[in-house]
Amino acid sequence: MNESINIPWLVGSLVAAIAFVALNASMLVWLERKVAGHIQRRIGPKEVGPFGLFQSFADGLKLMSKQLIVPECSDRILFKVAPLLVMVPAIMSFVVIPFSENLVARNINIGLLVIFAFASVNVLGLLLGGWGSANKYAVISGARAVSQNVAYEIPMLVTVVTMIMVTQTMNLNEIVLQQPDIFHWYIFRLNASPLMPVAFLIFFVCSMAETNRAPFDLGEAESELVAGFHTEYAGMGFGLFFLGEYANVFIGCSLATILFLGGWQSPFGVFPGVWWFLLKVYTLIFVVMWARWTFPRTTLYGLLNLSWKILIPISLFNLVLTGVMLKVF
Amino acid sequence: MEQHSLFDLLYVAAFFLGGVGFAVGPFIISHLLAPRGTRATRAKTTQIYECGMDPIGDAWIRFGIVYYLYALMFVAFAVDVLFLFPVALVYNRALGSRDLVELVMFVGILSLVIIYAWKKGVFQWERKIYNPR
Repeated sequence: MNESINIPWLVGSLVAAIAFVALNASMLVWLERKVAGHIQRRIGPKEVGPFGLFQSFADGLKLMSKQLIVPECSDRILFKVAPLLVMVPAIMSFVVIPFSENLVARNINIGLLVIFAFASVNVLGLLLGGWGSANKYAVISGARAVSQNVAYEIPMLVTVVTMIMVTQTMNLNEIVLQQPDIFHWYIFRLNASPLMPVAFLIFFVCSMAETNRAPFDLGEAESELVAGFHTEYAGMGFGLFFLGEYANVFIGCSLATILFLGGWQSPFGVFPGVWWFLLKVYTLIFVVMWARWTFPRTTLYGLLNLSWKILIPISLFNLVLTGVMLKVF
Repeated sequence: MEQHSLFDLLYVAAFFLGGVGFAVGPFIISHLLAPRGTRATRAKTTQIYECGMDPIGDAWIRFGIVYYLYALMFVAFAVDVLFLFPVALVYNRALGSRDLVELVMFVGILSLVIIYAWKKGVFQWERKIYNPR
């Protein structure tokens, strides 16, 4: 097979991905504050621009004009590298996410594996940032973030392995192509495994926990740990952690959409395209926000045991059950 | 290496460079825009934050992470899940139930990790009080 490299497509998709990450993060910050406001019977941001839409840009400008402070007895290299370790893998995951059939930077055959390989770097950034700060709260928070990510990675990966058994491919675009309408979405493929909706729930909860979102935000529990691993980060260091977090929320929700909800396919089989993908992803993101502002924070004890006592046994059972069902039918 | 997968790597490398650029860019802007120093009279801007007091002691000390046992279990699981990835990809391609039996055996042995830890009381957090007797 002989092909030449398509430089304009490469550069264009790279620029588009970066622009999308930035725009997505700023809009999600605005949306989160609006959702939080209305759930708590407030209005949320409303001063900057119509409905406060430009609030995030004002905030970004403010963050960029703040002094860059590196604490005196911190590990300077780790402290500076940590935000990069959160941000760069998030951008790299956008290589394989299919927004529509042709709107994907590169249709890599092992797309699912690529995303999980990059996603596991994220936690390293949290740990190194917390440790490098030489702040007691940050160190404790870093250890917590690791234990939490470690606990929730297992049920997530086991669920993904189950999905690979059903789909027989790790190519994200092919997985979407197997789900042409709502009855073929994997969440409703009960003949592959009667526990499919449960698998979706496990995957969704795990992606929420992996991105340190409430009710699983033990890493940045304000009432105990000030701000957690980013206590010492001022200005843009703090900003990058949040850009990375929102990019990861998007990646988690888009994976849930691709694996279970048919990606860019329409529910009725007409007009498939990027709008369906974005609609589904942002609905899931809204649910994530809804959960964050409705549920109280769990304890670390309950958090870890929820994963090890409930999610992992169920996902392992689902794996075996799917294996049996695939052989029977 | 095949040319196609070489191009895959090229895309990943390009996105890596783009990601680094995107992450470093704001710091450069910040470096240009932000003030270099503050007018704080006490010169404590770069002090570690500990709710306003002078920090007491070092943060890099040994402290009890009760949940390190979970990390040990994770190591077992992470390696085993990695083994499952290729198995899942080719699952059900051949007739017969040999792959099912092997999968059940593998997952069965794997889940003994959880049962063992459960019996050993890893999931039960009790305050460990030093008892001099």
